[in-house]
Amino acid sequence: MRITALIAGSIFGLMAALAQAFFRIIPPPAYGICIACHMRDMVNWIAAHIYPIYGLTGGGALKIPGGPVSYKFPLLTIVGILIGAFIASRIHKEFSWKTMRVSWQRPVPEFFWGLFVMISALIFGGCPIRTALKTAYLDITALIGLVMIFIGVIIGCEVIKKKVRR
Amino acid sequence: MSLLPPIVTIILGLLMGYLGQRARMCFVGGMRDWYLVRDTYLVKGLFAFLVFSFVGFAIFYFLSPAIKTFPWFLNGSAVFDQKWTSIGISAIPSNLLPVPGDPITWSPKAASHIILAIIGGFGLGFCSTMAGGCPFRQHIMAAEGSRSAITYLVGFAIGAIIFHRFLAPLIKIILG
Repeated sequence: MRITALIAGSIFGLMAALAQAFFRIIPPPAYGICIACHMRDMVNWIAAHIYPIYGLTGGGALKIPGGPVSYKFPLLTIVGILIGAFIASRIHKEFSWKTMRVSWQRPVPEFFWGLFVMISALIFGGCPIRTALKTAYLDITALIGLVMIFIGVIIGCEVIKKKVRR
Repeated sequence: MSLLPPIVTIILGLLMGYLGQRARMCFVGGMRDWYLVRDTYLVKGLFAFLVFSFVGFAIFYFLSPAIKTFPWFLNGSAVFDQKWTSIGISAIPSNLLPVPGDPITWSPKAASHIILAIIGGFGLGFCSTMAGGCPFRQHIMAAEGSRSAITYLVGFAIGAIIFHRFLAPLIKIILG
């Protein structure tokens, strides 16, 4: 069977709801699938254990910034995604070393896009996936965020059109 | 049982990685393709995600106590009431307060939360479009061997530390 985005999206949606309902990926709510937040939890957990001053408050207990669900041990979605995608690309012979051609997606600028995306995601409190999940959780502020993402995409597209034409 | 969430999320991640690689799933890419060339392949995935997670929450609301805050703009205020009495803020929760997650989570000012949503959402959309895909897509491309995506991930991880070290305290002072 060919897996389309429609099928994948519906499976992800159900899994996100299931994870919160029966597998205690809570608090905070609507946390079942999030790339930026789970990455943040993992990085902060590692950083706080290597370099304790980073997360240390008061009486010596580690206070790790992030979702309370990851205080004891971080969520490992990121590791899972990387391994799963690697297996899939190996099985279907799509793995190859490559670099993007366009000038603003070379490795060095891409580093800064990653930095900016993570910072904006944490200002808002979630990557595009969690924004959609929060919207489905009927959070009005997240709906505003989703609309703003669309406006950002439109302006990004216009900038890319200008760059390509030149 | 503190190991249950990591084990569940790593299995969930494996499945997501596999399906996402096969479907070329991308959330920002859906909006971008629709706007640029009116291609609806990826944006269908975004709508399916919205619909199915909503249906999932609505069904599991009756089955599981973990979803008792489900329509957040109605039932979320109980969470804020409980937290505010424990840290000594007296305010009436507004319907606009978001799900916890942004740096000023427990602030009662709804306007500040909306300002953060506007800034963050715009930055997220613009930077993701320029980078060539949402964070999820970049992880999959990194696993497919794209060097650009791998440096993206390095920036992504460092961004988290920079944010919590320097920007989050600043935002708390300005808007909190």
